[in-house]
Amino acid sequence: MASILKLSRALTKLPKNKKILQNILFSRNYGANAEEVLSDVLVNVPPTKVTTLKNGIRVATEDWGSPTATVGIWIDAGSRYENSENNGVAHFMEHMAFKGTKKRSQSQLEIEIEDMGAQLNAYTSREQTVYYSKCLAKDVPKAIEILSDIVQNANLGEAEIERERGVILREMQEVESNLQEVVFDHLHATAYQGTPLANTILGPTKNIKCINAQHLKAYLGAHYKPSRMVIAGAGGVNHEDLVKLVECSFGNMKEGGDVCSVQETSSGKLTPCRYSGSEVRVRDDSLPLAHVAIAVEGPGWTDPDTLTLMVASTLLGAWDRSQASGKQNATKLARVSAEDDLCHSYQSFNTCYKDTGLWGVYFVTEGRNTEDMLFNIQKEFMRLCSSVTEGEVARGRNLLAANTLLQLDTSTAVCEDIGRQLLCYGRRIPPHELAHRINYISADNVREVCYKYLFDRCPAVAAVGPVEGLPDYNRIRSSMYWLRL
Amino acid sequence: MALTFYRKFGGPVVNRTNQLWCKKIRRSYSTDYSNWDGRGSPDKKPVTKLPPLSKPVEGLPRIRYATLKEEHQKTQITVLSNGLTVASENRFGEFCTVGVVIDSGSRYEVAFPSGISHFLEKLAFNSTHQYPDKDEMMRNLEKHGGICDSQGSKDTFLYAASASTSGLNDVIQMLGEVVLRPQIKEEEVEAARQTISFELQMLNMRPEQETLLMDMIHAAAYRDNTLGLPKLCPVNNLDKINRKVLFTYLNLYHSPRRMVVAGVGVEHERLVRCVEKFFVDEPPIWVKDKSLIIDDNKIKVDSSLAQYTGGIITEECEIPQFASAGLPILSHVMLGLEGCSHKDPNFIPMCVLNMMMGGGGSFSAGGPGKGMYTRLYTNVLNRYTWMYSATAYNHAYADSGLFCIHASAPPENVREMVEVIVKEMVNMAGNVSDEELQRAKTQLQSMLLMNLESRPVIFEDIGRQVLATGMRKRPEHFIEEINKVSKDKIVAVAQRMLSSQPAVAARGDLKNLPSLEYIQAGLLDRHGRMPGGKRMSLFR
Repeated sequence: MASILKLSRALTKLPKNKKILQNILFSRNYGANAEEVLSDVLVNVPPTKVTTLKNGIRVATEDWGSPTATVGIWIDAGSRYENSENNGVAHFMEHMAFKGTKKRSQSQLEIEIEDMGAQLNAYTSREQTVYYSKCLAKDVPKAIEILSDIVQNANLGEAEIERERGVILREMQEVESNLQEVVFDHLHATAYQGTPLANTILGPTKNIKCINAQHLKAYLGAHYKPSRMVIAGAGGVNHEDLVKLVECSFGNMKEGGDVCSVQETSSGKLTPCRYSGSEVRVRDDSLPLAHVAIAVEGPGWTDPDTLTLMVASTLLGAWDRSQASGKQNATKLARVSAEDDLCHSYQSFNTCYKDTGLWGVYFVTEGRNTEDMLFNIQKEFMRLCSSVTEGEVARGRNLLAANTLLQLDTSTAVCEDIGRQLLCYGRRIPPHELAHRINYISADNVREVCYKYLFDRCPAVAAVGPVEGLPDYNRIRSSMYWLRL
Repeated sequence: MALTFYRKFGGPVVNRTNQLWCKKIRRSYSTDYSNWDGRGSPDKKPVTKLPPLSKPVEGLPRIRYATLKEEHQKTQITVLSNGLTVASENRFGEFCTVGVVIDSGSRYEVAFPSGISHFLEKLAFNSTHQYPDKDEMMRNLEKHGGICDSQGSKDTFLYAASASTSGLNDVIQMLGEVVLRPQIKEEEVEAARQTISFELQMLNMRPEQETLLMDMIHAAAYRDNTLGLPKLCPVNNLDKINRKVLFTYLNLYHSPRRMVVAGVGVEHERLVRCVEKFFVDEPPIWVKDKSLIIDDNKIKVDSSLAQYTGGIITEECEIPQFASAGLPILSHVMLGLEGCSHKDPNFIPMCVLNMMMGGGGSFSAGGPGKGMYTRLYTNVLNRYTWMYSATAYNHAYADSGLFCIHASAPPENVREMVEVIVKEMVNMAGNVSDEELQRAKTQLQSMLLMNLESRPVIFEDIGRQVLATGMRKRPEHFIEEINKVSKDKIVAVAQRMLSSQPAVAARGDLKNLPSLEYIQAGLLDRHGRMPGGKRMSLFR
């Protein structure tokens, strides 16, 4: 009773930001457990069931039988499928979904959700658009009905569009005050220059100001297609029931029937995005700290090298000043950062897209330390390519495995995982297979993969703030190899 | 050689502008057409010799999934010989969360320099009797895929770890070491000092003010006693806290009788056996080595009850400290009233009331479901566009409680902001519509159940409940209780609250902050009107 209202804080934060972890689940279930009959692996999680409906929509669930659930729509669409004229339309559409439909006005929609004690949310990324709802298990039918309504019948009236423009422009201000997002937008702009991946998700102000109902309808017609949709559910969700509900609410969706004819490129066919090693620096000495990202081109979602690069990412780790004391940090980069006071924070990242990705490090530091920090990062890059040790890699493997598992703590996280995996891989990878794949990663494998993607590659660099101390691009480039290797 | 060198340089660089120093902001792009140098993109052939992630790996054993078992819905509780309580629930899944919940925190620091809990929080999971350093401990935990965390608060201290269930023994051993046998070396204390000092700096820099205001309003509400003692270590105390002081505190408050070891996703018998080994058979380090603690029998366990006083604490400062990043300049006010303890029968109505007030930021991400139709949204944020945020909080402790509303607005609107909040507080005892009551009840129920999806939350719930009452009430019980809350109950709770002295905490530019007497008068007025000053607008 004491905790009834304290629930949301405290230890829910537990899995975040912690070093360390491992894969006992994996090693125990697969391989290491000798007593177990090898032909059967027991896992203590429910299976993911997938059904494809006649019109191509996939329904996927993991049923826990719990009193709460998350259900959502994952759509293979996002700013990558836009061009310079309509950049921003995917995100605009996401906003319009909450403005009411033919059946219910905006406030009716809101009150309906609030009265259920549910949550309705959406986000747009470069390749995915997601609408989901977290609710009591008994309200799943209603949640599905609402989701189907807002996705299929959103009101695209001029008045609503006008109102939303203002909101999006304000959101843009928020994004711009978040320097990390600014740096990552710049990084995409330079690394994928001349391709749709260079575009921001929100789109330029110019576009936001002129997007109209026609743009939105064209986009909907071209991309919100059943074959590119996944309806995922986790928590108290019965698979058969959900399939029936989806058939009922989405069964009439047709694959064809575009409102406007659109070019090939925008109908879901993937134009490959070319990567260019390059840099952009936005010098602003009025900012207190320099924000810098350095990345190389990585492989896409399905490439088997991706997991290895994720392990490599964990070997660089993340650190910020609140973690303090130097020598107790797990990764070498965190140790030097702390001991030599090189930065305020850094984090490694591995952003994947369908056919490409950005793998690198983002850091925040005082202007005068930029060069030293970059030097140490690139030194670590080279060490990954040449002399990373078996012990470190084992630690990285454990970290990746445990992070993956510990994250799947709530129905929302599981639902998210199901939706994303179905869009990225076309299936949900069974736990023992993921274990097998992670266990496969050895120091040799890390070295080979890093050598392929990092060594002597042209990096993409984006820097904002007092960045006069950032070395010249040619010098950065020349630190991407060692002559003696 | 020259050729190799050129190739490695990555090709010609085009389109570079020279840096100019005179301009403040410059954008310069440079592109390295990497395709020109023969070492363009990595080829598409993967190095890793496995099929793509979209295809299954052949030859793996078959997998058998779990089927649902709902029989685990029972909390088992055992009290051990030294007074320590073990409570656990089994659950399906490969991971468990176990930890120690202790009746300890800043409210007990009256005989000590404030900030002990803050230090202990930072010192957790360092060297112990068995482990020479943190690294060693982490490596051990790592073997079981574990992560760990510690957290202090006003009245409860938590140590917890999540790890593979098979590693339970090792995890409990580690927890036993960490809780009862830490070494607290001088250099570790020094490191904690630095971390805290950095954290305090950060708190002052960040635009978020909740943490600081929370300490301030408790100080105002319980002046110098129990819950009013600061959770954040005051800067002046950084050097006063040392090894001996810390051990003396631990000796008093981290005794087995004040502890619950709670577990989620573990077998109770197994947990009890492990706890026996590492929490009962092996004594605390300060029991074995008496020289660690200050020999002064005047220092005793503080068992005084919280005395609500009310009052005002303000701090004139600039928020944010660096206004450069386009952040708005705001003043923050937190207005509190005496709430109720979590043992009080009015506790659940109070929670419903808190939900009904709701609130949040005037511009925040996320769709419906964040309480858009709570009173602080409909009556405050939607009506006064200058209002930046307004949120209700309900803090309940064993012997008292604090209900407060935190609001922020530009400095010129501070007076109006206080008027609006006072009015909302007075309104709590006014009309409650069926609709909003039902909504608040449903939202509280669903929030409770949604939070309990997560293992660490269940752990904390078990631990806190068992520590406070010796048992755990199931979520179903609370769902029932929430259902029972009526309008009259809400009004009665609000009326009782309004008869208490207000507690006020404020930070920022406070030129326009009304005095405590004015706020008090406003709260006593039937319409929530504050005397004098600006006339109330006709439209309010």
